[in-house]
Amino acid sequence: MNKNDALILQSAELSPQAAQWSRTFDYLIIVVGAFLVWSVTYISQLLLAGDWDFFIDWKDRQYWVLITPTVTIMMAAGFQAIFWKLFRLPIGATASLLLFLVGVWIVRYHSWYGMAYFPLSLVIPGTCLMSAIALDAILVLSRSWLITGMIGATLYGLLFYPSNWVAIAGYFQPVEHMGSMASVADMIGYIYPRSGTPEYIRIIERGTLRTFADHAIWVSAFFSGFVCVFSYYIFWFIGSFACNPKFVAVGTRFKSAFGGSGKPAAAGESA
Amino acid sequence: MRRLVNRWLVCLFTASGLFTASSLLTASGLVAAFVPLPVAAHGERATEPYIRTRTVHWYDVTWSSGSIAANDEITVAGKFRLFSDWPDAASLPDLVFLSNGSPGAVLTRVESYISGIPARQSARGLKTGKDYTFKLVMKGRVPGKWHLHPVLNVHGAGAIVGPGAWVEVTGKQSDYKEPLTTMTGVKIDDLQTYGVARAQMWHFGYGVLALLWLLWWLRRPLIIPRWLVTQKGREDLLITSTDDKVAAALLVTVLLVVIIGYKQTVEEFPNVVPLQAGFVKVPVPPNVPEAASIEVKNAEYDVPGRSLRMDVVITNNTDRPIRVGEFMTAQLRFINKDLPAAVESIDPSFPKDLLAGAGLKVGSDSPIAPGESRSTTLDATDAAWEVERLVSFLSNVDSRVGGLVFFYNDQGERHMSEISGAVVPVFTQLGSKVSTKAPEILNARVD
Repeated sequence: MNKNDALILQSAELSPQAAQWSRTFDYLIIVVGAFLVWSVTYISQLLLAGDWDFFIDWKDRQYWVLITPTVTIMMAAGFQAIFWKLFRLPIGATASLLLFLVGVWIVRYHSWYGMAYFPLSLVIPGTCLMSAIALDAILVLSRSWLITGMIGATLYGLLFYPSNWVAIAGYFQPVEHMGSMASVADMIGYIYPRSGTPEYIRIIERGTLRTFADHAIWVSAFFSGFVCVFSYYIFWFIGSFACNPKFVAVGTRFKSAFGGSGKPAAAGESA
Repeated sequence: MRRLVNRWLVCLFTASGLFTASSLLTASGLVAAFVPLPVAAHGERATEPYIRTRTVHWYDVTWSSGSIAANDEITVAGKFRLFSDWPDAASLPDLVFLSNGSPGAVLTRVESYISGIPARQSARGLKTGKDYTFKLVMKGRVPGKWHLHPVLNVHGAGAIVGPGAWVEVTGKQSDYKEPLTTMTGVKIDDLQTYGVARAQMWHFGYGVLALLWLLWWLRRPLIIPRWLVTQKGREDLLITSTDDKVAAALLVTVLLVVIIGYKQTVEEFPNVVPLQAGFVKVPVPPNVPEAASIEVKNAEYDVPGRSLRMDVVITNNTDRPIRVGEFMTAQLRFINKDLPAAVESIDPSFPKDLLAGAGLKVGSDSPIAPGESRSTTLDATDAAWEVERLVSFLSNVDSRVGGLVFFYNDQGERHMSEISGAVVPVFTQLGSKVSTKAPEILNARVD
């Protein structure tokens, strides 16, 4: 324990024994909280950006680059708000994305590879982890959700593509198959069949962003950063709202149903 | 007091019931989650009968082998007719994708064609009332016995599954390899694992950076002390100048890693292409006049007898006498066993469970002369109507039945015509209309 930690405990007015118990409580909360953050982030991602994250032949220059950061920043911002407002802990975004990445690899091995026989090359996930670290770091430096939203969220969207391209660029090399050109990713998607997922269901490379002198991907990345700003603010407020516990007044009918008198308790008397 | 006790007892029993049920569900969920089980069925009988009887009719489907070694190829080939009486509830086949039905990637695709056109991508331009050939070349990957179907996915109508045959893959999964050479000459040893280690390495590196950041904060007094200090407004104790320096260093590190990594990757892979998202166009086959036209006068499904009976008028449009050889719907084949040419048309690889045991009974089975219109009865009786879950067409919003009828002339040449019409359920013999016109058929069935 360093000097600053001692000052924190002193300011919190915790006795040495209470401080020891609070540390045990920390360990318990870390385990429980990790599962909570993990599951919430995972479900959100599954529901809102599922196929783009699942399959390598969905990772296109437009929608994947736009949708994945826009979706992952939601829970990142929500947890960042909760951790920051309640505990001044700038780890919400990083925890959310790190746990999601760990979880997603477990599921890739267990379910996609183990149960459905898909090769791992088909189900390489994307990650916004570097974006999330940057978001948390900017929150520490700025101490402001407004500035973090403007600068951090923009950076969050912008960093997604280059930080993933280093991992998946090899899948976009050209190959020839049955007289036409395809990417390696297209071939993986074709060779390993997904019986319930026909090729036409892919929502990829639609629209006119590609008219920007063939630089569609950076247009998407900037647009993603722009949308992330709004996504961040909305979910920061939702996270902030979650920090304020509210109690709903219970009526006399409810109280009487559980054995109470249904009348207001007098001083020194149990309801 | 008694009411209170009763109320609490009800609450107690309800809670214990819910607890038991949720425990069982949780236990079964855990078993399902942690014990990977292979999937054997893929819902070929789950599709509504009006889709299976009136959209895509697969015929002449063959499997090149019933058993292959891992890494060996098998070809599924045949034809399909896009039915003219396509149900209104399903989208027309304007955009389709030829695929295969099998439990996961146990067999992999090598090539696929619709009417000779490569079908790696989805296809446009298909028309109802036309026949198309298809070919699927597959490769064994996971050892086991797998049900392999051709499937035509129709945008807006879903997957329309063709007949399935069991294919055994022998050997070891490690025998399977998928090498590939890119157009830039890069040799990929095995597509199954290509790029996985690279992605994992980057993800691991990112993860280490993130973990260091988390540990930087988690190592300190955490939840209760920080909350109490936050309530007192002493944020200066919680975020120190050292934290600022660490955050700044981390931010710079992140930016450097991403920028340098990206730059090097672009140099490493100078020739990349986007995902290919276009569709292929399949030419419309020429019109072929129907050899025989069939008009359905009455069609009924005998529920207790599991029999589809149809009063029809068949007009022979060819210049040679023809006989009815087969009625086929939803992959079920009812063969007229009195006609040798029809019996001989059954490919040995065709799944036996899709051949109706009783076959097809034709009321007036003598050859229909050229130009003649013949009233007759077709009786397709088999338990397969139930087994294949086809009788729910009685509860569909569009109670019609459709299929293909195959004719053979005296030279053994085969012709094909569509048959479709409204179908009426019959729950007792008294309700039958068809049987009164063809008592010999009814008697034969009852006997």
